[in-house]
Amino acid sequence: MGLRSFLDKIEHNFEKGGKHEKWYALYEAIDTFFYRPGSVTKTTAHVRDGLDLKRMMITVWLCTFPVIFYGMYNIGFQANTIYAGNPDLLAAQDNWRLALIALFAGFDPASLWDNLIHGAAYFLPVYAVTFLVGGFWEVVFASIRKHEVNEGFFVTSILFALIVPPSIPLWQVALGISFGVVIGKEVFGGTGKNFLNPALTGRAFLFFAYPAQMSGDAVWTAVDGFAGATALSMAASGGIEQVVGSGLTWLNAFYGNMQGSMGEVSTLAIFIGGAVLLMTKIANWRIVAGVMLGMIATSLLFNGIGSDTNPMFGVPWYWHMVIGGFAFGMIFMATDPVSASMTNTGKWIFGALIGLMVILIRVVNPAFPEGMMLAILFANLFAPLIDHFVVQANIKRRLARNVQ
Amino acid sequence: MAKATARQVLFEPIFSNNPIALQILGICSALAVTTSLSVTLVMCIALTSVTALSNFFISIVRNQIPSSIRMIVQMVIIASLVIVVDQVLKAYAYSISKQLSVFVGLIITNCIVMGRAEAFAMQNPPHMSFLDGVGNGLGYSFILICVAVVRELLGAGKLFGIEILPVVNAGGWYQPNGLLLLPPSAFFIIGLIIWGLRSWKKDQVEEAEFKMAPQSRAMKEAM
Amino acid sequence: MSSKKESVARTLTVALLVCLVCSVVVSAAAVALKPVQTTNRLQDKQRNILQIAGLYDESRSIEEQFSQITPRLVDLRTGEFSDAQDPLTFDQQKASKDPDMSQQLTGEQDIASIRRRADYSTVYVVENTDGSIKTLILPIHGYGLWSTLYGFMALESDLQTVVGLGFYQHAETPGLGGEVDNPNWKAQWQGKVVYDESGDVDISVVKGSVDPNSPKAEHQVDGLAGATLTSRGVESLVRFWLGEDGFGPFLDHLRAGEA
Repeated sequence: MGLRSFLDKIEHNFEKGGKHEKWYALYEAIDTFFYRPGSVTKTTAHVRDGLDLKRMMITVWLCTFPVIFYGMYNIGFQANTIYAGNPDLLAAQDNWRLALIALFAGFDPASLWDNLIHGAAYFLPVYAVTFLVGGFWEVVFASIRKHEVNEGFFVTSILFALIVPPSIPLWQVALGISFGVVIGKEVFGGTGKNFLNPALTGRAFLFFAYPAQMSGDAVWTAVDGFAGATALSMAASGGIEQVVGSGLTWLNAFYGNMQGSMGEVSTLAIFIGGAVLLMTKIANWRIVAGVMLGMIATSLLFNGIGSDTNPMFGVPWYWHMVIGGFAFGMIFMATDPVSASMTNTGKWIFGALIGLMVILIRVVNPAFPEGMMLAILFANLFAPLIDHFVVQANIKRRLARNVQ
Repeated sequence: MAKATARQVLFEPIFSNNPIALQILGICSALAVTTSLSVTLVMCIALTSVTALSNFFISIVRNQIPSSIRMIVQMVIIASLVIVVDQVLKAYAYSISKQLSVFVGLIITNCIVMGRAEAFAMQNPPHMSFLDGVGNGLGYSFILICVAVVRELLGAGKLFGIEILPVVNAGGWYQPNGLLLLPPSAFFIIGLIIWGLRSWKKDQVEEAEFKMAPQSRAMKEAM
Repeated sequence: MSSKKESVARTLTVALLVCLVCSVVVSAAAVALKPVQTTNRLQDKQRNILQIAGLYDESRSIEEQFSQITPRLVDLRTGEFSDAQDPLTFDQQKASKDPDMSQQLTGEQDIASIRRRADYSTVYVVENTDGSIKTLILPIHGYGLWSTLYGFMALESDLQTVVGLGFYQHAETPGLGGEVDNPNWKAQWQGKVVYDESGDVDISVVKGSVDPNSPKAEHQVDGLAGATLTSRGVESLVRFWLGEDGFGPFLDHLRAGEA
């Protein structure tokens, strides 16, 4: 217990009146990262449960691991496949990452190791920047407001890193997460008081601020000078026939062998993490079911209406599920307990609203082929209102029962 | 209101009682006209002159106005001044007035103008009312210019249309932030200004609607 | 408050006086400033035209520069010059909304999504000293992603090589579709050929960049990055205005020398 006694020994420096009082937040964060917090509820309402906020957040973090590893592999696989087909392009790249990759691995798309290292060279810098910059803001606000650094940031940072395109410049990552943490969360008072999902807020900021780096065809592959359309943009221009025509089968899309943001490509990997989240009841099954049903109902509706000019109308729900950020958003973003609805009925409505909006945006809006980010943010805004009406309805029902 | 000095009337609205940052009035035009600094300046001048002159004229006739038609008389005076300002801009600053389009006309509905007329000019003599109008116009201008500097500089790499940060599309290094060219960005900037202002002048902070119970050791100690 | 001030007669008098004074002030301002405003409006449009035709020179007055340009009215139904309206005051935007002055377009014709096309249009001609056409400037408009783009397109004397293209009014997304205003992108249009050998419209805005070695390169322009729909809109509106329902018949007549 060398670490424990060391932490205890230095603790007095950080307590009120100690010489490093200002850094209490940082000390506390490190302390509780390793150990269970010393303060527990002592009043009557004492819930006996091993699950606290920290353990919950760390579970979510662990649940993203299948997505992270598949994401890294896929970045490498997509890039190496392109390089294998066009060796000149590899020579023409001017990128510090490639020198780094060359130290550890080659550029063979058939090699698991090569692909993983290639992807890691893209994903890890993004994640590191997200963590450092976002963590910096967390500590700054925690210090000023004299509260602890919240473990929620572990989740925010990993989710943010997973929803950006691999080719994003690192300074944009820093700007995006700063906006997400500060404007999306801290201005409202920090974790628990934010009504928007901070990771999505950061991404939305980047999406509108730097559309050229966040949308279009050129950004989804970690290769400079190569434009690879995402399945969604192909579907938007030519319907699902074009997607299939490009050689992408539904099963491939489900496994995640396609272009896209780092974390969103593999529906399978997302569902593996999602299964754990649902089983541990960290992700609420009502929200997930709501999103799914809302999406299925809306896409069936559009399938039924049909359109000659807009091929998105005809895209079936099982394709909607595997392309774009739908699965990732449903499992990891919509279920964020802070920004979702709190009541059980509210969670159904909240989920269904996301499902409805995502299809509406994907199908009807001409400018944004991806709707998941905007749909979730939109539903976040409505979550308190939904809860309000659910609670009011409940009160009315109970009143009616009591009046005899 | 106690007798205020000319100095107070003129400068209070800039930081202590800013019409946008404290009273949250006149936000609509602040969103629409702040993409470029030169357009913003013209808008600020237009609004300041309308507020000052309408205050002045309303104050002159304040003792003659029957209270039953008070608001309508104020509106008529304000509207006439706005039309005159609009006509002058169309004549002497055509390209800017084209960019301002409907927003000069919308000064009529700007709550600052009407608010000052009703709250100040109806009770105070003409010269003080004039200064109050100028002061509130300056308070409005201060916020708008801050917003416009941020938006034009970071959104387009320019100030007054002159390139400051060479943008990528023209061969430079600066990647302009497209969000700042969209109206919602002004909300964020105004929000941040209000945040800064209220951290500086604590008396502007509104009282919380409810109190949070302490949750943890650190919070208990902080309280 | 004295009751005298609140009396009906007093109220009416004050209301009347305020209205009177204000209306005098407003009308005086409007009348006095009208001439300056009219010149401004005219010069603004003329500057746009000059800029797109590549003739604009900031050091000289617009009036002087514009004197080399003649506005002419074209009847789009017949494809011939017409005198039915005054080319200077004819307002095409307004006319395209007036059922008496415009034609409904069928879905197939309406590739530029403008619904109605005015019967007349004012074109601007730069003439050589011998009276032949040096540059022809055509007004064009059509729907992009969010808004209708209004602009001009200038053609050389062969009536198929582009001198310039630009939009003076639109509301596309800044940074994406808004890049139609980017001087680098507009410069690409210069020298492009809009008709193929058989005389059919052949110009397209391609996705990504144009391959300079391709035989079609002179008929192609780079798309705007991340703005597929605006690029497509520009392509369609150019095609529309050069085609059968736009200035196509008029250009045919000009080529035959009989407009």
